[in-house]
Amino acid sequence: MHLLKNPWIIAAGVIPALAIYLIFSIVPIFISFYYSFMSWNGFSEMQFVGLANFQEAFQDKVFWVSVRNNILVVLASVFGQIPIALVLALLLNRKIKGAKFFRTIGFMPVVISTVVISITWRMIYNSEYGLLNNFLEGIGLGFLQQNWLGNPSWAMVAVCLTIIWQFVGLYFIIFLSALQTVPGEILEAADLDGASEWQKTRHIILPSISHIILISIILCISGSLKTFDLIYVMTSGGPANSTEVMATYMYNKTFEGLRYGYGSAISVLIFVFSLAIILITTKLLQRKEG
Amino acid sequence: MDKVNVAHDSKVARKRKIFKKSTIYLVLIAFTVVNAYPIFWMIMNSFKSGQEFAFDPFGIPKEWIFSNYVEAWFTANIGTYFFNSLLVGIVALVICIFVGALASYFLSRFQFKGRNLLYGFFVVGLLVPIHATLVPMFILMQKIGFLNTHLALIFPYIAFNLSITIFLLTSFMQSFPKEIEESAIMDGCGVFRIFWSIILPMSRPAIATAVILNFINNWNEFSFALVLINDDALSTLPLGLANFAGQYATNYTGQMAGLTIVLIPTILFYLVMEKQIVNGMTQGAVKG
Repeated sequence: MHLLKNPWIIAAGVIPALAIYLIFSIVPIFISFYYSFMSWNGFSEMQFVGLANFQEAFQDKVFWVSVRNNILVVLASVFGQIPIALVLALLLNRKIKGAKFFRTIGFMPVVISTVVISITWRMIYNSEYGLLNNFLEGIGLGFLQQNWLGNPSWAMVAVCLTIIWQFVGLYFIIFLSALQTVPGEILEAADLDGASEWQKTRHIILPSISHIILISIILCISGSLKTFDLIYVMTSGGPANSTEVMATYMYNKTFEGLRYGYGSAISVLIFVFSLAIILITTKLLQRKEG
Repeated sequence: MDKVNVAHDSKVARKRKIFKKSTIYLVLIAFTVVNAYPIFWMIMNSFKSGQEFAFDPFGIPKEWIFSNYVEAWFTANIGTYFFNSLLVGIVALVICIFVGALASYFLSRFQFKGRNLLYGFFVVGLLVPIHATLVPMFILMQKIGFLNTHLALIFPYIAFNLSITIFLLTSFMQSFPKEIEESAIMDGCGVFRIFWSIILPMSRPAIATAVILNFINNWNEFSFALVLINDDALSTLPLGLANFAGQYATNYTGQMAGLTIVLIPTILFYLVMEKQIVNGMTQGAVKG
């Protein structure tokens, strides 16, 4: 590394990136803190209301539904995506015909735009023409048919399934490439000792990719906390707020009720909530590992 | 007696092996079907008439109809959305890579006060939940008059990709040996000249990864577009498509045609660049 004495040169190199980053990524967080204490509809005079916005949020049942749903999405992602992806990667991690084909199709949903996925799945769940109901009827399970997205008790399940579907492939490929780094000599030695496949998986393979599994879990949590597009397009939080997550709640409150102060307060809560969950899980997982 | 037993054992073992192998194939094929069939279903139905779709939603169309496409193309301004997505996505990407690489160059090749702090400050952006900034971003864009312009998307797209870009490029540039610049400095090259003609070309692999990540993120981005763009003529593909599907809520085959038009380029791009895309997205994810 070189010593650079002229501060102007460093400034010239760093400031363009820093300025854009500050103004459009960091400043908005402070803006939301400031406006969260205000009542403002975007046109009339702003009014300082103290903590009233936060109070209102904590007393609103729908807000708590949205918090619960956010947690549900996180749980569905962690306990859906990670185990499925891991099992599939372990299965594919051997000499198999068409391995490349399985990988290609496996990763495909990850690159498709969330909006395309949401609209497609909205049609799959359609009660009259949807793929799912038609399929159930076709295999003689017609009694299981549902108005998947129209029924408050099923809508969240349907949404979570789509979220799992969308990202299994990402972790599948991450695990698959991690598995390729497991040293072959150790596995051969285990073979010579007569270890069964399960024993090899349990005692050699899984421990040697445990670090990647932990990273994937954190990634999965922080990714699923970002859920907004998918639910907004599929249900926009309905029916009867049953699929509301914090971000859709914030959007609906802010732009349909023109309540920028209240929306800012919810933004602050999302920010705090997301960081708290990420920090807690990182700490927990690190302790477990260490 | 023993011989028979051994033969029997190996037969059982072989049977077991075949059973195991076929179970594995079965699971993998099931996974593939679950992954691919929804997409296939949608594409096939986009070529059916509304009536045929209602009767037979599963198979290949009996009669291939293109009217859905004509309708989708003309009622939804897909051409315009395409242009907007490309424009916003590419401008944001070029700026992000350029300023990101420049900052990474200083962060990785020079020692100065506050360097680690600055680097940490950039990278912590990976943790900022994007949609927590939707409302304040709207207020900010309104104040500075960017609302409903391409700029309203370009700047947030740059800002939110800078963290991962700087992260990838800094760690890559750090791996170059120190001697690289030394001869150039002897020759009297300026700092920026070294960046442009030595460091930047050498960083090509990492830049390729960053470009792909940036492009996919920008191309698929929906939330900022939803909040900051309120004009059909400025809509990007995800936003335009969502609005179109909302208006054509009951015309399923029309919606499917619109989706397919958007989907095909993505899938082709994916199939052609699969290796780079997969590497970029998994690397970006794991390292970030």
